[in-house]
Amino acid sequence: MTHQISGLFKNLITALFIVLSLTSFSQDISSDAGVITQGETLFNSNCKACHRVDQKLIGPALAGIEDRAPSIDWIKEFVRNSSKLIASGDEYANKVYEESGKILMTSFTSLSDDQIMSILAYVKAEAEKPEEVATVADGGGTGSGDGVPPTYLNAILVGMIVILVLLLVILGLIISSLKRYLDQKDLTEEDREVVHSPFTFSSIVQSTGFIFIVVFLVASISFKTVIDGLYTIGVQQGYAPKQPIAFSHKVHAGEYEIDCQYCHTGAIKGRSANIPSPNICMNCHTQIRSGTNTGETEIAKIVSAIETNRPIEWVRVHNLPDLAYFNHSQHVNVGGIECQTCHGPIEEMDVVKQYSLLTMGWCIDCHRTTDLNTKGNEYYDNLLELHNNNAMKVEDIGGLECAKCHY
Amino acid sequence: MRNMQLLKTVLIAIAGAAFLAGCKAGGDYPGLEYAANMYHSVAYEPLTQITDESAGTWVNSLNNGRGEYFNSNKYNPNRMNMRAPAPYTVKRNRNGWLPYRIGKDSLEYASTIKNPLDSTAAIIADGKALYTIFCNQCHGPKGEGDGKVGTGVSIGGVDKKFVGGVANLHGDAYLNMTEGHIFHVITWGRNLMLPHGSQIEPEDRWKIAKYVKTLQKK
Repeated sequence: MTHQISGLFKNLITALFIVLSLTSFSQDISSDAGVITQGETLFNSNCKACHRVDQKLIGPALAGIEDRAPSIDWIKEFVRNSSKLIASGDEYANKVYEESGKILMTSFTSLSDDQIMSILAYVKAEAEKPEEVATVADGGGTGSGDGVPPTYLNAILVGMIVILVLLLVILGLIISSLKRYLDQKDLTEEDREVVHSPFTFSSIVQSTGFIFIVVFLVASISFKTVIDGLYTIGVQQGYAPKQPIAFSHKVHAGEYEIDCQYCHTGAIKGRSANIPSPNICMNCHTQIRSGTNTGETEIAKIVSAIETNRPIEWVRVHNLPDLAYFNHSQHVNVGGIECQTCHGPIEEMDVVKQYSLLTMGWCIDCHRTTDLNTKGNEYYDNLLELHNNNAMKVEDIGGLECAKCHY
Repeated sequence: MRNMQLLKTVLIAIAGAAFLAGCKAGGDYPGLEYAANMYHSVAYEPLTQITDESAGTWVNSLNNGRGEYFNSNKYNPNRMNMRAPAPYTVKRNRNGWLPYRIGKDSLEYASTIKNPLDSTAAIIADGKALYTIFCNQCHGPKGEGDGKVGTGVSIGGVDKKFVGGVANLHGDAYLNMTEGHIFHVITWGRNLMLPHGSQIEPEDRWKIAKYVKTLQKK
């Protein structure tokens, strides 16, 4: 009998304990370090894409969520199936949905009660952290602006040149006044020769030797410039036109490392690499509406192009003459050539310029020196044998044929 | 007298050199063209358009007063050379696939569609290359949603902006997605991801879907 009672009592106590621990779990947010670290991992892998603790991103800032939301149970329900809660007409759920621009939160059905509680614990711990990170970031920000800007350097240089010229003028004046002073005195023949040197400026300039040197120098420099100038005719290397939108490849391809072909989709498919249509810009710019370099004006131009259905008239940079044919996919897809081989360090250019010569000699040079990649392509097996298994160049398979490019 | 003649020659040479130096391209100036009427296409060309009807009148040998370079279509909107294909145009592809006609809302149905491609190593390698081009910058090389566009970069102490809401493909909500689901989302977009159907061909989208499933197992 006593046995039974004590057994019953034990059961009661465990039941009570379970109930207590459950209620305490559903009400109190743990401040245990272990739970918080677990929450942090969960937050980073599941929530971070749309939520921050202290600022609104896609979803609301999560700081203070435990006080704002109707109940902890509500949070759990919303996390597991937000669309169901919204559809049920729950007032607060619908309010959150409206405030987030009617973007549904992904349902995380597999998160357990404990896991959601640990995420809440992490959010609470983060929200209560004193703000020291911000000040550190500020200090770092001001430190990076050091160094003299190049415009100041130029001004300093010009100032120094002006001072030097002034010094020369003053020295000249001193010499002439000294001469005049010395002329008034009685001088010996030797001294007179020192004061009035026979080699005056005009006598040197009028000498045949001097004229010959000057004419020779000017003529040879001019000849070189003429030849150089003639070689630039029909070559547009360095052409860097201003575009209708100040798009920076440095920001997109350099800093964000967006692949060239994300926008220039034609490079592996066809002749032209293609200029992206505005809808491709909007893949990111629906969210990013102000740039770090140009603010809102430039991105607004894309939006207005879409709204008015007017194409953006980019200025073509690489104008290959009509008499030559070029195909991107043959080089990028078949040849496996990097974009930078011909277009230069595009990822460092704010304004794109034509980097290469794009002359016939430039094409031919590359076709003569580039090895053919025949690996894993049976088509070339016999040809390789005929070449005694030596590496073939592009010219060996017709890379120098006139009609490959001119027809 | 002899000197004067020399001086003249020198001056002419300098003027000539200065004139030729002006041929060099730079900034907004494309440089002087040689045989200009062989440079400009009279026929319509993709991605180039000269809208000025009088451009290149001086090289025209037909004496009809028209510019030789003008190559835009006056009758198309915005003088474009190409028009958008007529609605319901079906693009021919080598697989003979019909266009994907499942609407954006039918995600549940789309999830049941099987990937028509096999899981060969070549296809998964293709998928990886395509993933690197089209998905990397947001979803990250491992699919953890940590691409530079998705997390932002810090350049010289300045935090650059980023696109929020990038899915961590290893998150619980995404692990059970079918390849049909992935294909549908690439085509139409979902939540904050915008449609990528215009950029990526259907076959390539299936390859990416295949690769994403491989990636999730890692």
